[in-house]
Amino acid sequence: MSDVALEPTRRAQRGRRDRSANFYAYLVVSITLALFFVLPLVWEAARSFQPANLAAATPRGADFTHFTLGNYRAVFSQEHILTNVLNSLVVAVGTALLTTIVATLAGYGLAKFRFRGSGLAFAAILLALMIPFQAVLTPLFIELNDMHLTNSLVGLILVYTTFNLPFGVFVMRNTFQQIPQELFESAEVDGAGVMTTLVRVLRPLIVPGLATTAIFAFLYSWNEFLQALTFLETDSKLTLPVKLFDIDTSTYGAINYGYLSSGIVIAMVPCIVLYLALQRYYVQGLMSGAVKG
Amino acid sequence: MSRVNERFDLAPVLHPGGQVDAERTLHRAPSSARRRRKARTGGLLVTPALALIVAFVLFPLGFAIYISLTNWPLIGPYHYIGLENYRELFHDPEFLHSVRFTVTYTAIVTLPIFFLGYGLAVLLRANRFGSKVFRTLFFLPFVVGLTTESFMFAIELQPGAGWVDWAMSHLGLASATQAWTVTHDRTLLTISVIVIWFASGLTMLILTGGMQGIPRELYEAADVDGASWLKKELRITIPLLRRSIALSLIISVIGSFLAFNQFFILAQNNASLETVVEWVYQTAFTSYHLAYGTSMALLLVIVIGIVSMAQFLALRGETEL
Repeated sequence: MSDVALEPTRRAQRGRRDRSANFYAYLVVSITLALFFVLPLVWEAARSFQPANLAAATPRGADFTHFTLGNYRAVFSQEHILTNVLNSLVVAVGTALLTTIVATLAGYGLAKFRFRGSGLAFAAILLALMIPFQAVLTPLFIELNDMHLTNSLVGLILVYTTFNLPFGVFVMRNTFQQIPQELFESAEVDGAGVMTTLVRVLRPLIVPGLATTAIFAFLYSWNEFLQALTFLETDSKLTLPVKLFDIDTSTYGAINYGYLSSGIVIAMVPCIVLYLALQRYYVQGLMSGAVKG
Repeated sequence: MSRVNERFDLAPVLHPGGQVDAERTLHRAPSSARRRRKARTGGLLVTPALALIVAFVLFPLGFAIYISLTNWPLIGPYHYIGLENYRELFHDPEFLHSVRFTVTYTAIVTLPIFFLGYGLAVLLRANRFGSKVFRTLFFLPFVVGLTTESFMFAIELQPGAGWVDWAMSHLGLASATQAWTVTHDRTLLTISVIVIWFASGLTMLILTGGMQGIPRELYEAADVDGASWLKKELRITIPLLRRSIALSLIISVIGSFLAFNQFFILAQNNASLETVVEWVYQTAFTSYHLAYGTSMALLLVIVIGIVSMAQFLALRGETEL
């Protein structure tokens, strides 16, 4: 409050001093918080490189002299968990691709074409945005079972794609709406068909939307647990999270924590890498405000 | 244009008897044919998305309503029983407990997530040196996902083996071999702390997005008037941030209401820590009371709809960004 009373020069000086003291306080608080948020993740990476016997014991500083790749070697030599990692990769990449393609077509159609029922189609997509998959888990299971799509990665990709579509269509529709109408018209005058326009003319302009849609779909399907747990049965079909659950709850003797922790790190890495690479598009997607919890 | 001509039927033009009609057709048809063709293309473009949403969201939703009115078993005949499932729900102590527990859990985590997220957003608001890096680091737990992190803490919460014991006993907050996920209260507290750690980065990012839209001049003007920090937050930031605040609270409350992974993984053997979605899963897929579980799942849609509406209405103000 007394700021107002101070002379301009003294105010400026005080401001500068405040800023540097302030700055160090900011730095200390931020670094402490960063440790709070990141240390548990880093610790898990460190644990995964410890020998299995040490990984199950109370942490001690001395343990970190015994780095080993043993856990990872075990993970990759045991066929099953490698299969599960690949399953997760197939499902996540498949979902990201399919979601991006289907959402792009629908976003294009809704943004730039006028047709009967377009309002209804958009309403249906909006409605789907508000329905959590947990609410339709049982009927979805019965339906997929009848279609022979349970215990199937294709079935899982179709379901994951569907629950990512409302958000994706939203993002792509906004993306197409921001492209000036003249571009479409001049492409049409030049004789370009709908698909040619999309692939040749619009592609560079819709890349941000594509990246946003793809990264959300990938992260969703890579991390998804409840649907995979419900729809998949046999060990060779499980995705990584469900496999980790099986390892964690296995009743055959002691749990191998080294093994489990390396599986956890394998589950973490693609998320972090993808987020760091495509952070801008991820944040844009968040800001569009159409994300479900 | 060539494709339009190909499709356009020239027969009337060449027909000797119908010259007037032919002329009219020639002038009007191309544009209307093109419009019709464009309309058809638009419909075709939306079809795959619509087909998937009808097949795997809207049809199951209708199917769920139907199932919930029957005594649908896993195999065998079933018949219509009206609202019997819904009546039973409200007399089922296990179900009522899961509702109470989920509401309690949501009440516990929502405000800490919000205030921590708000604090983080304020801390990094000025975009000083390192702000971007810190923002990324604070958000990492959300990126990695609660499922993976629940497995992580399944290891780290082991008494005598995980770092949680070790760290907490060194900080004087617990004895050296604490059972973190055995008693009801301690498990709930532990899981709540993990969820706050996981989710506050998301609130931070959503609020940061909102804060960046607030004109700097407003704060500068307030500085000139000698407004205190608290006053600036209450009079400028919060009113202009209403939409972002509403969004972050809705996402957080819905997420807590649908909680499953963290309790299923970290509190498997503790029936007193059963969330609604866990109850639905167990009822439908462990006890095979498919219809009964489904009726609860449908109530979930209604509850979540009401929560979203209520929060939007409560936080909707005259000032919208």
